[in-house]
Amino acid sequence: MTSLVLKLIARRLVAAIPILLIVSALLFCVLRLLPVDPAAMSLPPNATIEEVEAQRREMGLDKPLPQQYLIWLSAALHGDFGRSIALRRDAGALVAATLPATIQLAGCAMAIAAILGLGGGLLLFHLRGSALEPVADLASILLLSIPEFLWGLILLFVFGVLLQWLPFTGQVSPGLPVPHVTGFLLLDSLLVGRLDVFFSACRHLILPAFALGLAFSPTIMRVLRSSLFDVYLEDYIQQARLRGLTERQILIGHAFKNASLPTLTLAGVQFGILFSGTLLVEVIYSYPGMGNLMVDAVRNADLPLIQAIGLTYCVVVLLINTAVDSLYVVFNPKLRVR
Amino acid sequence: MLALEAKELVVGARIDGATVPAIRALSFALEPGKILGLVGESGAGKSMVGRAIAQLLPAGFAITSGSLTFEGNDLLQMPPAARRALLGRTIAFIPQAPMTSLNPAQTVGALFDEHLARLGEARRSARRDRAIAMLTAARLPRAAELLTQYPHQLSGGMCQRVLIALAFSSNPRLVIADEPTTALDVTTHPPILRLIADMQREHGTAVIFITHDLRLAAQLCDQVTVMYAGRAVESGPARAVLATPAHPYTRCLQLANPSMRAERRALYVMPDQMPSLRQLRELSGCHFAPRCPLVTDDCRRGEPASVAVAPDHQVACLRARATQVVAAPSGDLVAAKASERPLLQVEDLRKHYAIGGGLFAGARSVAAVKQASFSIAANEFVALVGESGSGKSTIAKMLVGLEPPSGGTIRLDGEDLTAPSSRTSALRATRLQMVFQDPQSALNPRRRVASIVTQAMEAGSRHSSWDERRARTRELLAEVGLAADFGTRLPGQLSGGQRQRINIARALCSLPKLLIADEIVSGLDVSIQAQLLNLLARLRAELGFAMLFISHDLSVVRHLCSRVLVMYGGEIVEQGPVEKVFADPQHPHTQALISSVPPDDPEAKWAALSSAVRPRESGDPAAGFPLPRE
Amino acid sequence: MAGPLARALRSPRVLVALAMVVGIALCAIFAGSIAPHDPGDQNLLAILSPPAWADGGDRTYLLGTDSLGRDVLSRLIYGARTAMLVALFASLCAMIIGAILAHIAGYFGGAVDWLIGRAVDVWMSFPPVILSLILMVGLGTGLSKVILAIVLVDWTRFCRVLRSEVLIVTRHDYVAAARLLGFTHWQTIVREILPATTPLLITLVSLEMAIAVVVEAILSFVGLGVGADQPAWGQMIADARQYVYQSPWNLLLPILAIFLAVTAFNLLGDGLRRTLDVRLAETGH
Repeated sequence: MTSLVLKLIARRLVAAIPILLIVSALLFCVLRLLPVDPAAMSLPPNATIEEVEAQRREMGLDKPLPQQYLIWLSAALHGDFGRSIALRRDAGALVAATLPATIQLAGCAMAIAAILGLGGGLLLFHLRGSALEPVADLASILLLSIPEFLWGLILLFVFGVLLQWLPFTGQVSPGLPVPHVTGFLLLDSLLVGRLDVFFSACRHLILPAFALGLAFSPTIMRVLRSSLFDVYLEDYIQQARLRGLTERQILIGHAFKNASLPTLTLAGVQFGILFSGTLLVEVIYSYPGMGNLMVDAVRNADLPLIQAIGLTYCVVVLLINTAVDSLYVVFNPKLRVR
Repeated sequence: MLALEAKELVVGARIDGATVPAIRALSFALEPGKILGLVGESGAGKSMVGRAIAQLLPAGFAITSGSLTFEGNDLLQMPPAARRALLGRTIAFIPQAPMTSLNPAQTVGALFDEHLARLGEARRSARRDRAIAMLTAARLPRAAELLTQYPHQLSGGMCQRVLIALAFSSNPRLVIADEPTTALDVTTHPPILRLIADMQREHGTAVIFITHDLRLAAQLCDQVTVMYAGRAVESGPARAVLATPAHPYTRCLQLANPSMRAERRALYVMPDQMPSLRQLRELSGCHFAPRCPLVTDDCRRGEPASVAVAPDHQVACLRARATQVVAAPSGDLVAAKASERPLLQVEDLRKHYAIGGGLFAGARSVAAVKQASFSIAANEFVALVGESGSGKSTIAKMLVGLEPPSGGTIRLDGEDLTAPSSRTSALRATRLQMVFQDPQSALNPRRRVASIVTQAMEAGSRHSSWDERRARTRELLAEVGLAADFGTRLPGQLSGGQRQRINIARALCSLPKLLIADEIVSGLDVSIQAQLLNLLARLRAELGFAMLFISHDLSVVRHLCSRVLVMYGGEIVEQGPVEKVFADPQHPHTQALISSVPPDDPEAKWAALSSAVRPRESGDPAAGFPLPRE
Repeated sequence: MAGPLARALRSPRVLVALAMVVGIALCAIFAGSIAPHDPGDQNLLAILSPPAWADGGDRTYLLGTDSLGRDVLSRLIYGARTAMLVALFASLCAMIIGAILAHIAGYFGGAVDWLIGRAVDVWMSFPPVILSLILMVGLGTGLSKVILAIVLVDWTRFCRVLRSEVLIVTRHDYVAAARLLGFTHWQTIVREILPATTPLLITLVSLEMAIAVVVEAILSFVGLGVGADQPAWGQMIADARQYVYQSPWNLLLPILAIFLAVTAFNLLGDGLRRTLDVRLAETGH
């Protein structure tokens, strides 16, 4: 079985390469639509036209588009993503510095979304046929209608401004050191043995992670509920009842496993979207991740940085999708055994 | 002490605010170790009895009166926990659809483990041994390996054997088998039935055997109860009841069944169909009265009480003594006058599918049809017989242009139709039509009947006016025996038999020369089937067309068609006139198909059921073609 | 469609949602007549004033003013117009593109399906938020650009979901029967398949409108939306964030507006899905 899973992962990764190439090419082209001149932007405002032209030639902006792309691609494959125009640092290094924070946030948010989603889905299903069902259903639609950006603002307002229970800016309280071993602050603070930094980081993570998790859990809830409904229509559930199994045994032993497959597929797609949703939450909470970096880059029309960050988001989402597909194969006997 | 006894059992259903009895005054007595057959068409309430015993009735249904006793214990008064304790342990069920009745995410071993653990076997190794023992007793080869397999890796017959093994693994006192062979290929019927009979004998279990097949019940059951619209209309010893039925319904049902071996005769056709639950509310008196050939005014006044025509043989009818008078109409409508000129000529038709393949592996070629050659003359009804996976549906698709053949030629009236193209589509549209199998999926649920039957007039560049279409609708509906007001109905408002008539009407709209009927009567009740078979014969006499009749039901084939093509493994293994092939089959598969049909005469012995034969492996032509695995 | 539509209109969920949508639409259409002030009118003497019911509030500015003294209520009403315009046009265009490609892919199958499927895969491997941001960077700000960006990102969602439905419908025998009776491909798609996929289409449009409202708000929030001269709820939030301690209402009111609009469309989509699902109806009453 493991060989099949490994083969599938390998196949997906290989299939991802052309996708990445096309995506990076598209990114490249879209950004060239900008009515902005990167050459002029990287020089002081009083530069002469000749200097700007020279800069253009040096940056390779006078070459045809496909050639520019290939130059960028060959550099990128060596790890060189160019230099950020606005921040004047290596784009790749900037991304590498902020990526762990985003992954940390996304990871916690995914865990919250999964727990709330699965729990909520089971609860919704449990309430079927009872008087509370329409209420719960309506509640889930209302929850669904609050995107992560609104959740971020609401939680910030209620718990940050109004009740002042939790912090809502940055990754740690100001004044505390930021140890740097792996880049994942939660891990690093434990490795370095600074529990105060660890707890501060946790407290700062609560609001943004919940904002994301709460935003994505209703979809998981509803899909789990409808999958369970579908599964309960199947013959084998009735047959299990005729064998004398209790409803609880049926739910846990038979129904849940079969219903979790479509839920898993959807959750996987949601996680990809969740990862890109970190951008907004980071902006709202001034959290130093890739999202904030991206928004600044976009505001400054900083092409190399936009390109590098955009590509990184795509790579991470593709990896998440591959992981979900592999899990799906592991759990679905029809795909696993030939 | 009786294994199961029902006395005046009534199951009510809440329909539109009122309670309608779905099962009325049902009484039967099942002795230990005996088999009771519950026979009836769909909607008669026979499956409901099984659910009532398990107390797992659907929403809106409840047992309103009467008693149900299992080995002296009152099932209805039992607390739910005690009743649940019986299920799976002392009372077991064998379901109708074996492949979907197994959890696709659970291995056979896990299934047995769970079940046996519930039965009280504490040690895992003991459970495993017992599982292997039961699977082997169910004549499944390589039982140990089977434990690690998932349901989708097994064939339908194997799934059913697993379920039978599971049911009998607790040494139950009562087993309820709900149409256990209906969903399986015909050649697997005798081995599965034999297995059930053997296990029943071995464990001394009482069995309730639910079926729609009278002939099967005669062979397998000790006692039989015939049900109609929720009432037991006749009950008694199986062979006695079915040899000389006392109730008109039983007799009519027998006469509606085409026979395999007796002299060919017309089928008795009961008008309309069994009343639905809604219609039952309006009916007073005997529920069979609207369709009964012996009906009198007394019948409509009140429900007839059960009288005994012989010791043990009860019947609920006022006219029981006159039943034997009911006879099939004379004349053989189906006598064909086929012409000599071949209408359809198929030579060397082949179809390959490429399976698998992709970046890392080459594709395998699977032959669905290998070198099929046959011809059909004008006005001739030819049958194409085979089990699932034999290739008969593929041939139909190629004839109709839905699949391009991989080789060979198809000629209709001399024109080459082989490669699908716009030219051949135009030719086909007027000369060749198909009547599809599944009435649910064959009719667009959003179109009204009038629009469906004249759909051919909408096609291409033809612009027929609504008046023309209305006129044609009236004609077509009259042809297929439906009232003109059906034109405004939607398919969702029609019964299965009515939908098939619409299906046929649509195909006949442009008066094709050749019809391809893909299993159009499978899945229909016997009385509805009889109506449709008579309809087809009459239509041929009036309109004149040939038909390729695809079916797995040999008795229907024998009744309707003059020639037969037997397919196995993608090849036509035998062909010839029906009488000749059925009387003296040459190929082992044909022989297996024929021997899988129970005899018409209830007193006759069914060879396939009693012979002690070794379990057949798949791949053996006499065992039926295995379903291709992905 | 008459039967299912009648059924849909009997559902309380659909009616309530429809009422909400109509309410917001009316605000949008009649913004000029309903709004008490011009949304761009700055009154620098009355900046950040609270709503009329709080102390310090003024009846002339019912819901208070923002950091430039502009009336919040008027800006909310005009913001509704922005939101509705974006929602309507973006969903309809995305639906048309997605539906056409989905039907072609699902019906014809084979190479065409593969090609469209791969295009959708590539497109969808771009996280939507990122893609829309980048598109706005390339296209520039403005109402039509926002609509274009949303269409370019979301057509794939329509395509993928509708394609599955088209595949299911095409598998029915009545589609094959139509071809057999002589229907051309075009006739078959329009007369047999499209009526079956229309309920899902309508549901998806409603859900897409909810998404479009959110995306428009996000883009305005980040500063890449319809532009500073047109009132937008997202921009109101971005402004109000800086002054959240002084005037929390300025933050809460646009949040509420977005929530109500999105809920209305989601509720409508959910209600339509339940009542228009003919599959439930055709398998038996």
